[in-house]
Order: sequence, then C-alpha cells, then structure tokens
Amino acid sequence: SVTEIRSGFAAIRGNIQSRDPIRTLSILSYPHSLHKVKSSDRCCITHHLFNFYVDKVFKHCKTEDSYVNRKISSIANSFLSVKRKLGQCHEQNKCMCGQESAEKFKQVLANYEGLNVTSAAMKSLGELDILLDWMEKSP
Amino acid sequence: DTSLPAPQNISILSTNMKHFLTWSPVIVQGETVRYSVEFQGEYERDYANESWIPICECSLVTATVCNITEDISATVAYNLRVRADVGARRSEWGTLKGFFNRITTSLTPPVMKVIAAGYHLLVELEDMGPAFQFCVLYWKKGQESRMQQKVMKEISSVVHLDTMEAGPDYCVKAQTYVEAINRSSSFSQIQCVRAQGSRSMWLV
Repeated sequence: SVTEIRSGFAAIRGNIQSRDPIRTLSILSYPHSLHKVKSSDRCCITHHLFNFYVDKVFKHCKTEDSYVNRKISSIANSFLSVKRKLGQCHEQNKCMCGQESAEKFKQVLANYEGLNVTSAAMKSLGELDILLDWMEKSP
Repeated sequence: DTSLPAPQNISILSTNMKHFLTWSPVIVQGETVRYSVEFQGEYERDYANESWIPICECSLVTATVCNITEDISATVAYNLRVRADVGARRSEWGTLKGFFNRITTSLTPPVMKVIAAGYHLLVELEDMGPAFQFCVLYWKKGQESRMQQKVMKEISSVVHLDTMEAGPDYCVKAQTYVEAINRSSSFSQIQCVRAQGSRSMWLV
C-alpha cells in the first residue's frame, strides 16, 4: 500500500538523496510539476510512473548498504503490487490516457535519459516523495 | 563425508502480520552450526535477475528461527531460503516449498476489555501495530437488530462507545481489519456490562 511505500522510503530518503549531487535537476518536476496534471489524466500518469519505476528505476539502485537494499526491495515489491491494481483499472478502461499524460510522461523519460542511468535512477528514487505527495493530494 | 546437509522442514509461522521463518537444526556433533537467511520478492524474480537479498539480522546465527516481518512488506509472493555454516563448511540452500504471501497470515480476534465507567461504555483494545484497524459492534442486549458500529483506524488505548441507560446490559464484540491484505479477523467473544450505580457485572 502507499502508506507502506511512504514509510519504507522515509527510512532511506536521507541516504538516497545524499547520493544525488545534482539537486537543481528534476526527473518528475521539470519543466512542469506533477501538480499541473489535469485530474482526468491522474490515473494514467500514475500508471505510467509506476511502470517507469518498476521497469527502469529500481534495478539500477543497488547500493553497498544492505539495509538500504532491503528497503528498496520493499518499495519495489509494493510498487509491483500497486502497479498490478492500476493495470486492472487500465484494462477496465477506468484509467484513460489523454494527450497531456502522454506528453508529461514523455518529458519524464527525456529527463531520465538525459543523465547516466545510475544517477538518473538514484535521482528518481530520491524524488519518490514528490510522487507520493502528488498521489495523496486529492484531485 | 564433509558436506553439510541443507536445513530441512523450512516453514513459515505467520500470525497477525508478523512472519517468522523456521527450520530444523542441522546436527553436527561437537560443532556450532550457524544459519543465514535470504529472501526474494516478486520484483527480484521478475525484474532483477532473480536476485536474493540477505537478511543481516539472520546472517550466521545459531537460532533456527528468523523474524522476516520487516522484509515481507508487500502483498506479493516471496521466496525464502536458509543455509548452514560450520567453520569453513557450508551447506546448499534449503528453500521454502512454495511461495509465501502475507495475504495468508492468520488473523486472530483482538484482545478486548469492555469497561462500564459509571454510565459510560468504554472499550480497551490491544495495540496490534500500524497495519491494523478495528471494527467494534455494540448493542443493548436483546436489541441485536439495533447494533451500532465504530471503526477505529488508529488505536488509542480506551475508546468511548456510548452513554448507557441504567438497567439493560450492553454487549460488545470486535474484529480487526488489515487494509494491506483486505482481510478481517473473526469477532472476539461478546462481552456485556451494565451501567455502574446499578448492579454492574460481567455477563457473557
């Protein structure tokens, strides 16, 4: 659940964010914050972002710290669980993707691919609170 | 034969979202056998080259039980394994037969105490951790059809349910609910009390 993702992330946020030297760049918020996304596109963007984290981010976040690795595993497995539920919504056409969500997600990918993969993955992981705050903000 | 047998009878004990891995001891005369545990979630299986993650609290330990609660923190299928070490000798991994998913944890009814404080009907519930919510049902004895419900997402030690009239007995029962696995326990035993100041006693 999202609550468990948030508590798992809270336990390692300082460690992860300290590994991201380029604080002026953002994967999720550049050029526009997630908060600018229309509510009708929220579900689709969330679905895209969960796929993004599962498919691209977590696997490049291995650290030398076994505690951090265990917490990343917890978060990744919780993402998988939520991603599955979002996938069901998508299949039942309850998660429509508009033009805006497609462009927003394309921008996130461009931001991600603009950095080397480990830096991009660590930065994305460090921005989880941005994603969680946005998800929990009611539309 | 210098090979060390892998641990056997590996199983999970999971109650109220607390999960423990247990196994039979590997016996080597005159030697201290140590064990190490690793886990693998669905993410690791499907997206991270089937990698395994060690649980450092259960690395080279002599106990034959490991608390895996912290690491089983998603509702997905987990693999678990344990191996033995004696000096420089190391066994093969013994792997839990089948997956473990926390959705199968057994949920017991909450420990509950119903209190009549004067005319106030109170209930005290055991703190079972952040994953647990409580559903409390209460009614005037004989008026089961007019049962009332109170849902508690966070536990505070004592909860006020109602202000009682003098005379009738008031009965209470409770169950837990775990949102992460979308399951509830069975109800606790019914406990009835009567407003103090009249004959207050436990009536079951």
